Amino acid sequence: MIQYLAYLSIMTGIYGILSLSLNLQYGFTGLANFGHVAFFCLGAYTSTILVVLVKGPFILGLLGGMVAAGLFGFLISIPTANLKEDYWAIATLAAAEIVRLFFLNEDWIFGRGPYHGGAFGIGGIPRPLQSWFSATTYPFFYLCIVILCLVLTYFTVRFLTNSPFGRVLKAMREGDDLPLAMGKDVSKFRMKAMAFGGAMGGLAGSLVAHFWSFIDPYQFMPIETFVVWAMVVVGGKGNNIGALVGAVIIQFFYSSTLFLKDFIPIDAQVLASLRMVVIGVLIVLIMLFMKEGLIKEKKRIYQG
Amino acid sequence: MLKVIDVHKSFVGIKALDGVSLEVERGSITGLIGPNGSGKTTLFNVISGFLPKEAGEIYLKGERIDELPPNEVAGKGLCRTFQISQAPEKMTVLENMLLAPKDQMGEGLWNAFFRKKRIMHQERHNLEKALYLLSSVELIDLSNEYAGNLSGGQKKLLALGRILMADPEIILLDEPTAGVNPTLNKSLMRLIEDLRKGGKTFFFVEHNMKVISDICDKVYVLDFGRKIAEGTPGEIQQNEEVLEAYLSGSSREWSRKVGIDT
Ligand SMILES: Nc1ncnc2c1ncn2[C@@H]1O[C@H](COP(=O)(O)OP(=O)(O)OP(=O)(O)O)[C@@H](O)[C@H]1O
Ligand SMILES: [Mg+2]
Repeated sequence: MIQYLAYLSIMTGIYGILSLSLNLQYGFTGLANFGHVAFFCLGAYTSTILVVLVKGPFILGLLGGMVAAGLFGFLISIPTANLKEDYWAIATLAAAEIVRLFFLNEDWIFGRGPYHGGAFGIGGIPRPLQSWFSATTYPFFYLCIVILCLVLTYFTVRFLTNSPFGRVLKAMREGDDLPLAMGKDVSKFRMKAMAFGGAMGGLAGSLVAHFWSFIDPYQFMPIETFVVWAMVVVGGKGNNIGALVGAVIIQFFYSSTLFLKDFIPIDAQVLASLRMVVIGVLIVLIMLFMKEGLIKEKKRIYQG
Repeated sequence: MLKVIDVHKSFVGIKALDGVSLEVERGSITGLIGPNGSGKTTLFNVISGFLPKEAGEIYLKGERIDELPPNEVAGKGLCRTFQISQAPEKMTVLENMLLAPKDQMGEGLWNAFFRKKRIMHQERHNLEKALYLLSSVELIDLSNEYAGNLSGGQKKLLALGRILMADPEIILLDEPTAGVNPTLNKSLMRLIEDLRKGGKTFFFVEHNMKVISDICDKVYVLDFGRKIAEGTPGEIQQNEEVLEAYLSGSSREWSRKVGIDT
């Protein structure tokens, strides 16, 4: 049980990072990024390539995953700079699928041997410092790494959103015209928000790859983006604590099948599909009765 | 200061600007009037870079600006307000004010992380200025209110305050007094005159003829996208062509509103 709790906490922490980074992009900047999973995927694969193929250390994988995902965020904001919100959402959704399909089809990357790549996924991804711990204590060590990353992400996002930089992002959330009239180069700010949020998503991806020690393209389906969106919307967009609370709640529902299958006599397969329904219903309820999510955005007060 | 030469702009089926030429002198308060739909806002949009023109040239301080994006036009010292408030509503009045200053160090990520002290200094300076300006537009009591909770008139005041935070050389105001109560209106006009004495240039759309004749040095009149008259407020009120334009049916109400006797 306690093992399972550690597993759940690690996954919650990793999704918490995703939720915080989407909150930076959607909650604060108003970017309808429907391709958030691309960062997650790129972080996981880049880190795996750097550690498994290049034989670099874990930390190199982590940083590499962040750089790759951040770069991707930067790159997709260039051709999409002039798209309207709805088209932008579709473009990001498509971009994420392209990333996933790339790793699905380009199986040469991982060559032969124990690592198949492509649809078979890649196994045996090393876990950092695994030999120092026993199988039962290792998850707790990994949990510490995840918590450290989560805390760093939290403070970075909080710092950014409280800075004059974040003020421009917040202004852009309600349209480009006013910030443009005030001389702000909105497309540059958008790029930075995509790059920074992307790098954080990449961090989460790297963490998940080295935790599962196996990744395949099916772990990065568009539904993952939906789950992260649910976290931000339910927890409270524009509030970083809210994004974290949302991550805890949604992750709980997401994992609850494992508890419920002992109590409710439903086929596990059906239960797994039902949890998405539950999350969907939760979003609808929030949209109807608590538009701003469980924790409202905090008003920024400046003291004169 | 600002020179507009033979500018054309059309929307599907309508010539919104049909060869408009005008000039706004440095340190002047210049008015722009015309019936509804005559192209005033369109002209502001074209000047400030929000809409591409189809033909013509626009110069700011002798430099061509008609190919620049709006943020660069603003960077060159020309700022505009919007006829319909664009204030970010989920930001407080003070946040709106602090957004405006140009060249804020804290807007760069590198600086945000590594030059906290200087940014804090700049923020404090801007905050003081914001509070000062908010008291001159009488919004100080609403400093920490969300902009979305302000009335239409208050949003106009906020727009003016915010633009003063940006400190441009020339300010384009699109109907700055619409919805603002008459007493406050007077103090606004005084504020504008004071700022002009301090070297600022104003170009503004206004329907209230009293305001125009009180503070404008020069007035341009648009009708159907064409400039039909220019001159001092006194000259404009006597101008035959202006009167004629306003006599045409759709404009009658407007004529009454601005106080031209038809
Ligand atoms: N984006 C647009 N698309 C199509 N037509 C437009 C657009 N903007 C303005 N127009 C049209 O161009 C003409 C000029 O409009 P404009 O807003 O410049 O008038 P205005 O003088 O500012 O009027 P008002 O006094 O009502 O503010 C109008 O006929 C208007 O319907
Ligand atoms: Mg107008």
